[in-house]
Amino acid sequence: MRRLAARMATLLRSALRGIAASPLTSAVAVVTIAVTLVLVGAFALLVANMESVLRQFGDALRVTAFLQDGLAPDAQRAVATEAGQLAGVEGVRLVSPEEALERFRRGVGRGAALLEGLSENPLPASLEITLAQGSRSAEGLARVAEAVARLHGVADVGSGRDWIEGYLRGVALVRGLGIGLAVILALAALLIVASTIRLAVLSRRDELEILSLVGASRAFVAAPFLIEGVLQGVVGGAVALGVLYAIFRLVLPGLEFGLELVLGGVAPRFFDLREGVLLVAAGGCLGSFGAGVAIASEPRP
Amino acid sequence: MTTRPTRQAKGETGAVGAGQPAVRLYHVSKSYSAGHFALRDVSLEFGRGEFVFLTGPSGAGKTTLLRLVFAAERPSEGQILVLGRNAPRLGPRAVPPLRRRIGVVFQDFKLLARRTVEENVAVALEVVGAPRREVRARVFAVLKQLGLQHRRFHHPPSLSGGEQQRVAIARALVNEPDILLADEPTGNLDHELAVEIMDLIAGAATRGTTVIVATHDMAIVSRYGKRSISLEGGRVVEDRPAPGGRP
Repeated sequence: MRRLAARMATLLRSALRGIAASPLTSAVAVVTIAVTLVLVGAFALLVANMESVLRQFGDALRVTAFLQDGLAPDAQRAVATEAGQLAGVEGVRLVSPEEALERFRRGVGRGAALLEGLSENPLPASLEITLAQGSRSAEGLARVAEAVARLHGVADVGSGRDWIEGYLRGVALVRGLGIGLAVILALAALLIVASTIRLAVLSRRDELEILSLVGASRAFVAAPFLIEGVLQGVVGGAVALGVLYAIFRLVLPGLEFGLELVLGGVAPRFFDLREGVLLVAAGGCLGSFGAGVAIASEPRP
Repeated sequence: MTTRPTRQAKGETGAVGAGQPAVRLYHVSKSYSAGHFALRDVSLEFGRGEFVFLTGPSGAGKTTLLRLVFAAERPSEGQILVLGRNAPRLGPRAVPPLRRRIGVVFQDFKLLARRTVEENVAVALEVVGAPRREVRARVFAVLKQLGLQHRRFHHPPSLSGGEQQRVAIARALVNEPDILLADEPTGNLDHELAVEIMDLIAGAATRGTTVIVATHDMAIVSRYGKRSISLEGGRVVEDRPAPGGRP
């Protein structure tokens, strides 16, 4: 155990010595990883926020069924009962033409004076159907809307399906762009990190030769470079997290209009602790893979 | 080519039996390009605790022979037993443990300029995971033995050639190796310093380490009166035993 601890301490010292010996190349690796993760993290943050918008709107998702004119109140209640028994429906509220008109009047505010001239109420009775938890999605909404439309006494069905589907497509597009960008940037970062570690390997070739001479195993020779890669990656990840947080706190408040467009009234959120740790860990992985690529291409001593 | 009887000196520390030689070469040839041999059909034995000089002009094959012993090269033909292990057949994982039992000293010292004397010597113990306190104690002991303890926090470029070579010898000896190989260890030093360095190397043999020194300095060879093997064109042309049969 003492030997293992001593060996780990030696490897860590060697890695830190390597970073100190070539601070500029190490800084290049850290900045590359940080830039990659800032861009990827920004996309991840956007997707996460857009998904939370969907979740919030899901609570308010409802289908409105307009009933046929002249349907007797008993028949209206019968349709409401029937709708309440459909799969995916949580609750049904019958809205009378009078209540609908009253809501409309409240909704238009001062323009309500225009309604005074109406000789009769033009609004039909309707059913406001809220969705069960499992149906609060574009597909669930479509299923319930189709089932309601088939009910006897229903003249028309309205839902936010088109909007939801459009928004979903938007989320999918942003996510796809993010993943594509992440793959391209991660590959670029990997190559740059591999090159910087390879430079470090080349600049310490004399050291590697001596280590090999005194009986160092290949793992012992390679480990400091791997540790160096991981350290650079973790620092790069932490820097990226800090930059994203600064952007979130300082820049986003100035982008209210754009945010309103994408997120509606939903307040934007930053990464939680788990997501933040994941971002930093992603940096560590990038660094270690880069170092691994560099070491694998080095001939055995 | 000739062979010598086995000598036994050092207590057993590995797979080698008490009466076995430390190094044995059987009909070893090494060629780097077709038709050009660095070593040709060499068969030799080096006993445990024996002190042997390899002599010959540049290109005679001295360095190649040493490199074969510490498994930096594989022979084109023949077999090499080092401390009871068939060196050419060792896999990548088995080479480092063998090298930990062999100290190597070079003409150009091969020291790390950015590390202190103490750190340069400590490298040989760190690779085996020795605890830091033990590393410090053993490094200090070997530096004191070589008269370098006051220089332990200096960096190699600030040392003289003789001091640098003593650091390299300290690194080679700190692990108490079974075999010490030295390739022209006095090549960069004047005669007085060369004798000083050779005395330190010879001291290892008195403690039971098999010492093989490649040199073309015949004054040094005759001064120590040890077995000397002369190589020319990759062949052993003479194997002169130590006067009086001393190891």
